[in-house]
Amino acid sequence: MNPALVGVALAVVVGAVVAGSARNARSAILGLVVTMVAAPVLAEPTPAPLALAARLVGAVLAGYLLWIATRGDRLQTQGSLVGWPTEAFLAIAAAVVGFGSHGLGAPTDGPPLAAAAGFALAVLPVVTGRDILRIGLGLCLLLGGALLVRVSLGGTPDALEELMTAGLVATLGGAVAILAVAARTDGRPGFELSSTTTRRSSHGANAHPRGPR
Amino acid sequence: MSLVVFVVVAFTSAGLALGLRARPMATASLGLVGLVATVLAAVAIDPAQAVVVGHSGLATTSYLRIFLILGSLVGLGLTVAGLAAGTRRDAAAVTLAILGASGLTLGLVDPRAAVLVATAGGLFGVLVTLVPTDGRAGATIGIRETRAVVVAGALAIAATAWFGRDLSQLAAQPVVFGLAYLAFAIAVAIRFGAIPFHLWAARLTDVVPETSLPILMALAPASLAIVALAWTDASVAPLLVDLDPARAIVLAIAIASIVLASVAAFVQDDLEQVLGYSIVGDAGVVILALATLDPEAWAPTRTWILVFIVARSSFAAWTAGIRAGFWTGRVEDLRGWARRSPVLSVAFALVVIASVGFPGLVSFEARTSIVELALDGPMATLVLLGTLAPLAYYGRLLWIGLARPDRILEPIDAWRPRISPPDVTAMRRWLRTTWNANRAFSTASVALLLGVLAVATSAGAFEAPAAAAGLPPSLSIPSEDVAPVASGDLPEPQESSAP
Repeated sequence: MNPALVGVALAVVVGAVVAGSARNARSAILGLVVTMVAAPVLAEPTPAPLALAARLVGAVLAGYLLWIATRGDRLQTQGSLVGWPTEAFLAIAAAVVGFGSHGLGAPTDGPPLAAAAGFALAVLPVVTGRDILRIGLGLCLLLGGALLVRVSLGGTPDALEELMTAGLVATLGGAVAILAVAARTDGRPGFELSSTTTRRSSHGANAHPRGPR
Repeated sequence: MSLVVFVVVAFTSAGLALGLRARPMATASLGLVGLVATVLAAVAIDPAQAVVVGHSGLATTSYLRIFLILGSLVGLGLTVAGLAAGTRRDAAAVTLAILGASGLTLGLVDPRAAVLVATAGGLFGVLVTLVPTDGRAGATIGIRETRAVVVAGALAIAATAWFGRDLSQLAAQPVVFGLAYLAFAIAVAIRFGAIPFHLWAARLTDVVPETSLPILMALAPASLAIVALAWTDASVAPLLVDLDPARAIVLAIAIASIVLASVAAFVQDDLEQVLGYSIVGDAGVVILALATLDPEAWAPTRTWILVFIVARSSFAAWTAGIRAGFWTGRVEDLRGWARRSPVLSVAFALVVIASVGFPGLVSFEARTSIVELALDGPMATLVLLGTLAPLAYYGRLLWIGLARPDRILEPIDAWRPRISPPDVTAMRRWLRTTWNANRAFSTASVALLLGVLAVATSAGAFEAPAAAAGLPPSLSIPSEDVAPVASGDLPEPQESSAP
């Protein structure tokens, strides 16, 4: 087993545990960026330089957009529902399952470590907190997990697929960032979900406005 | 390559429109220009091109071209209707981005790459969930939509990856095949908001403008459904393994969506909810097609998807026309609408014909084929009758529309265009006044035009059935970028030095 890949897999999982459990919003985002930057390297052979560069740009862009969305004085999120040690053990257990079931019944072109890290990432969103930012970070982890499982099964994606992956990662980061910013427009500091549902007024609220809102 | 031009036009226009979002009128104008450009770019697509990138690439087909032409036309129509009846400033940009993503999704040869773009396309929709007056409530609905899109994407990524490798040395049980197939089918169901995955979609109808609903709930997921159909036909259908348990689950989701969504649409009191559930119900037929596991369903399903997108869009434009004309979306308050707006009445009739159809119409035959391929015997008859259930909520709307009006808000001829003599000294003011005076008429006219387009698509115009029967994108099409190699340039065969 390639020791460098073991190190990368560890970085991916540790970053994911931080992203899933840190209460400080920017610490969680930092953990996510570590995961997203390291994940593309967790492949054998490593992607072509241009494809890898695209993935790194996508990951950093997603992280940067989330970073902007969490401007403020030590913005807090709900953190983990079960605490970081439990998350870490859960991730390790999932990684063992992923490593052991590598290939899911058939020979593969990818490394088993990608399957281990992918399973670990995919299980963490289950126990993450339930505010807008945490759900968003959990979805980033879930997507990262699915992409790693894909690498473990099908091997290193070609350049076009890496480009599409980079676009998807950046789009997801941007979408979560926009929602996080929108959530704070009511002046409240956190990212809690709204307890009320906005309902369209039945009587002419949408009709004949002055212009697009 | 012509598809790349379309994608660049769509994404560039979307980016520019978003960049100017601080100036609503500028972003709306730019969005409209971009949508006109996408219509032209879609018409200019050459349906037999391929570009190789690494081991994969992009290819165009006749079906891709028709999908994008119809998608761009309904996007343009809905944007105009939205501007007249009330919309969000980002609606045009979101439509453009989803059109660009749909073009790329349908053009990508490798389904593993296509599902990534289809997922990204779904994420653009969060922009129209943001409510100007209550950002947190809008963001809550937006993050639920994001969750649905990403969970569906993760399932589709895992499923395509599992099949996208050499399975000749397979030691897995058939159940693994069933799980992969089920994962992709459920991904499509989640994206369409099919029952029981409909809660996020139901909340979406509370905040998203009616003219954006078909873009988010029909056009964007449709591209994923087409990829799923091609993937199922190529990877799952040829397998000689028992997939009945997984297939039964997909069938249950499809039938529940077809029947229960119509019931839900019938009992709803808001037009947007009726529209949302009508989309879910028609999407049930697409999910039913995924349960057939029969290549015979390929052409009728792709035909149905085109009709589904255009017919639901025309219904959305009609809904916007009702709001613009009668200042309400509450069904009970719409007594006499059909008596008071002949344009909307004709548009409504066209919507019903296009979406329900009658024997002999291409859309009706396509839907019947899908049901008969998926089910046998009395069950097929029952589900076929279930596909006619939309007649119940259309009937309710018509019943209300023909009733005697219980309140008069506008003069009897309010549906007619009102154009005052142009003032050449203040053309801008005259244009603004004329536009404001004709918002209801403009929206109703767009609904009528989209209704005509929907009926034409249902009748098999634009050679849609022939295009739908064509092959999925493939790199075997002669590429414009790959010049033939002269035989003299090929390397000479050499004797092997291996022992």
